[in-house]
Amino acid sequence: MAKPAPVYILGGAQTDFARNWSKEGKHFVAMMREAVLGGLDATKIDPKEVQTAHVGNFAAELYAKQGHIGAFFVEIDPAFSGLPTSRHEAACASGSIAIIAASAEIEAGRYDLACVTGVEQMKTVDSTTGGDYLGTAAWYEREAKGIEFPFPKLFGRLGDEYDKRYGLKDEHLAHISAVNYSNAKRNPNAQTRNWFMSESHAQHESKFNTVIGGRIKISDCSQVTDGSVAIFLASEKFAAEWAKRNGIQLSDIPRILGWGHHTAPLEFDAKVAESKDNAYVLPHTRQAILDAFRRAGIAGVEQLSGIETHDCFTTSEYMAIDHFGLTKPGESWKAVEGGVIEIGGKCPINPSGGLIGAGHPVGATGVRQMLDCHRQITHQAGDYQVEGAKTFAMLNIGGSGTTSCVFVIGK
Amino acid sequence: MIFSLSAAHNNAVRSRPTSLADPLSALANGGMVTTLRIALSAASRGFVRIAGALLTCGSIAKLKFGKWGIRLGEKIKVVILGANGTMGAGAACIFAGAGFEVIMLARDRDKALAGLKAAQNAARAEAVAESIKLGSYQSNLESSVRDAGFIFESLAEDLALKRHFFELVDRFRGPNAIVATGSSGLSIAEMSKGRSEAFRRHFLGVHLFNPPHVIVGTEVIPGADTDPAIVKSVVAMLTKRLGRKVIITKDRPAFVGNRVGFKVLNEVALLAAEHGVAFMDYLIGPQTGRAMAPLATIDLVGWDVHKAIVDNVHQNCEDEAHASFELPAYIEKGISAGRLGDKTPERGGFYRKSGKDTLVLDPKTGLHAPLERPAPLDFVEKMKSLNRVGRYREAMTVFREARGADADLCRHVVLGYVSYGLNRVGEVAASAADVDSIMSYGFNWAPPTAIVDLIGARETISLLERLNLAVPPVLEQAARQSAKMFTGGVLDYGRAFVG
Repeated sequence: MAKPAPVYILGGAQTDFARNWSKEGKHFVAMMREAVLGGLDATKIDPKEVQTAHVGNFAAELYAKQGHIGAFFVEIDPAFSGLPTSRHEAACASGSIAIIAASAEIEAGRYDLACVTGVEQMKTVDSTTGGDYLGTAAWYEREAKGIEFPFPKLFGRLGDEYDKRYGLKDEHLAHISAVNYSNAKRNPNAQTRNWFMSESHAQHESKFNTVIGGRIKISDCSQVTDGSVAIFLASEKFAAEWAKRNGIQLSDIPRILGWGHHTAPLEFDAKVAESKDNAYVLPHTRQAILDAFRRAGIAGVEQLSGIETHDCFTTSEYMAIDHFGLTKPGESWKAVEGGVIEIGGKCPINPSGGLIGAGHPVGATGVRQMLDCHRQITHQAGDYQVEGAKTFAMLNIGGSGTTSCVFVIGK
Repeated sequence: MIFSLSAAHNNAVRSRPTSLADPLSALANGGMVTTLRIALSAASRGFVRIAGALLTCGSIAKLKFGKWGIRLGEKIKVVILGANGTMGAGAACIFAGAGFEVIMLARDRDKALAGLKAAQNAARAEAVAESIKLGSYQSNLESSVRDAGFIFESLAEDLALKRHFFELVDRFRGPNAIVATGSSGLSIAEMSKGRSEAFRRHFLGVHLFNPPHVIVGTEVIPGADTDPAIVKSVVAMLTKRLGRKVIITKDRPAFVGNRVGFKVLNEVALLAAEHGVAFMDYLIGPQTGRAMAPLATIDLVGWDVHKAIVDNVHQNCEDEAHASFELPAYIEKGISAGRLGDKTPERGGFYRKSGKDTLVLDPKTGLHAPLERPAPLDFVEKMKSLNRVGRYREAMTVFREARGADADLCRHVVLGYVSYGLNRVGEVAASAADVDSIMSYGFNWAPPTAIVDLIGARETISLLERLNLAVPPVLEQAARQSAKMFTGGVLDYGRAFVG
């Protein structure tokens, strides 16, 4: 296959993930509006220049009793009336699927400027109801129906599987949580930036840190979050023109250097059965990472300045560490102990705070991860900047390791 | 784990820097940008250097840098006086959460313990106690103040009481210890009168808003003698380590936030005597750019606190809104009868819960009656539905163009806020951006300049003139230059306009 046309990331904006939009008395379109208008403002793009829009959203049908989410993009600005829009859904990887669709359109030469918006309003319901809705990201009837908080239990089992194959200490999970919370304190849009967390709190079960399922305590979990994020992806033609008018070089603009996308069997038991003879617990996730590295033309993780990964639970970040190749399979704890994953370490993971610290508005998470990679590469990440960042990768996962999307972003 | 002070001293562990020559850099740099890795080999050499401050080897064991070293920086000791109060406990929560070693002092240890429980509830973590020690004024004030790098006074708003404690602090504090008062509006000059020069150089106001673990707006008030380097370091510490949004204000009654905020709240309370409580809270409700309706806010703050703030401004400020600070007689009467708002649920305030029902006060009779929702007003409902979908500009257009006495009254209060807020620039606030910041992050209200931008500067001026409200010079200037006033964007002000 010929090398595809490059896809440039011009920037974007996100809402403050600490906001509760139900308390503000708002519909999710307000959230989309603020993110997209904020993104237009940040990138100095005129709404008339946008040619196509892709919206990532997981479950507005459940949380807001509303479908046809792509059409809501048109409600944002009169200039958007008539635009081709669509909505993409792959549970927590919805945002990445929207990015893949938009970038494919640009690679194919159909459009020169796409807006990708992720949005999820989750605080419309209580936590038990919300937990049940999230269960639809698994095989609901078999794995979630009638189970309180099914997802913490599924990701607890990911930890159990590591424990069985290689051994796993909960103190390493607690450290992962504490690092994400600590990083989030540097991020002005992070949901937990003013929350208390300490390693000791994360390690111990207590009145305020109860067990949610299996080995997963509250401190191991990402948050119920309202949020929207918008980014703008462009062809070389548009990016060159945009660079010129902003007085920068085309080569200064970050690109999607490579991508990977694989889907494993839905049920967690089926995944584990399939990988029983594999050194990697989630081999399709590993393959998505390798695909992205290959397409980006990088040899491995040592060429990354950092990673934004999907830490819906501490166990998923623990999994990401060896799947990215920071350690041999089963030895993620070595990177945790060695400080590799902290800001200032060899390969910082989630300088933004990740899903645990920054928040996890499900359908917006992949878009937020790409925006954060962009901030890192363009050195606009403020207090959570990884010094000298050149190349970042992101891993966004839907379901219990079911849909894996990986991007490598650099110049 | 809760240590008593004496037990802590028996540990013979000093977490004091070997050199206190520059506690300022340690205050600011120690922790927020935090993932500080302490190599054990370095520790075994006898010292480690952390963000510019040397710690003794002995402090390592004490510091509890997790197993692999995470997120704790310089352990400046912070002493909190009045640690059992709401603000004292809240301050303990945020200082301990930022990695400071905190000593909570109260009249007796049990009271300090109650403060700790409140701090744990605010932090939603029992582990916050690991960096907190408790003590009483009687047994522990002297020893803890001698050791402290930062002393935060959070006693009752009583000048004589505060001065008494500052006299003691002046006697015991180390030469570089910083002393901050958490007063929400008393005079910094009065509080530091009679203190040593060294004390006055290290003394300033740090006004946190309630509850401090949620509300990050913070005012820093230097006194006439405060060393500018101290102000700078305290602002850096509050911003970088405690995640505060800080403005520096002049030493004027109620500073900026409460001066502007309570002007609006008291004005609505005055108007409620004529128009009724439920109607005023509906008319000046969250759709006009605030998280909570004004009279419900006074109930939350407490009627006694409300009175203290507006009386202070009324007695000590002569300005264009002097009459708005006169406490309504029905509030005065209510307070004498023990009606203080949410903290006296049996007597209530503007509102009172009776089982599942909400009762509302009739200011004329002083009695509560079942709440009847006011008849919907077309322009109010339109504003709400536009805010709901994020069309804030269009909502302000409705606000601007609505006709009738109700709309005029609404504009009078909301634009009165814009006028009064921006007119404080130069008098007590350094800039319009500072007024915006404290109203946004201290009160959860729409920043005045965001309202101006949504309406348009020229249009705002003509509305102010029509309403006989003062036109602030900063607004005139913006109109002349056709300049946007608000420094942020929709992502910064959108939260204030409720649907």
